Amino acid sequence: MRYHGEEALGLVETVGMVPALEAADKMLKAANVELVSYENVGSTLVTIMVKGDVGAVKAAVEAGAAAAAAIGKLTAHNVMPRPIRDIGDIVSIYDIDK
Amino acid sequence: MKKFEALGLIETFGIVYILEAADAMCKAADVDLVGFENVASGYISVLVRGDVGACKTAVETGVKAVEDMGSSVYSSVVIARPHQDLEKIIARYSLEKLL
Repeated sequence: MRYHGEEALGLVETVGMVPALEAADKMLKAANVELVSYENVGSTLVTIMVKGDVGAVKAAVEAGAAAAAAIGKLTAHNVMPRPIRDIGDIVSIYDIDK
Repeated sequence: MKKFEALGLIETFGIVYILEAADAMCKAADVDLVGFENVASGYISVLVRGDVGACKTAVETGVKAVEDMGSSVYSSVVIARPHQDLEKIIARYSLEKLL
């Protein structure tokens, strides 16, 4: 889904794709967020990005991070409440629908 | 393939172990091998689909097959009813697309 910035962005990064997929599933189910991207960034790191309201993204990231940590290794998680538009362009390089 | 069917995943080190796991998984239960991904640095994963019970059995058997060979899986999971957006991710790893 195209992400234009100026809207909350949630990120969860794991080692390997199994925890990442589990995290993505839990994030999408935990709150009203949409999947922006799923990317294998290299060196076994896989990143999930979702967008939505700040509160929803926070809840989603919490749920996703906990789920990933439970079955694998979580390397990073973050909530960006309102990134600038240019960040949206960078994120959209990895757009899942592209 | 029916959509939103349960999903079973295994990730381990190297193609030798993952092939053994995939073989054991598909023989153990009524699941279809739907995806394969060489994540990076030896991390390799396989995805199977089927009923929840079948996926659980398949993943258990896959993990055991890898352990019997003297290695261990990095992670494994069964997602009973994957969110519809996960279909987009699964589609990337579909064997049909990779071949």
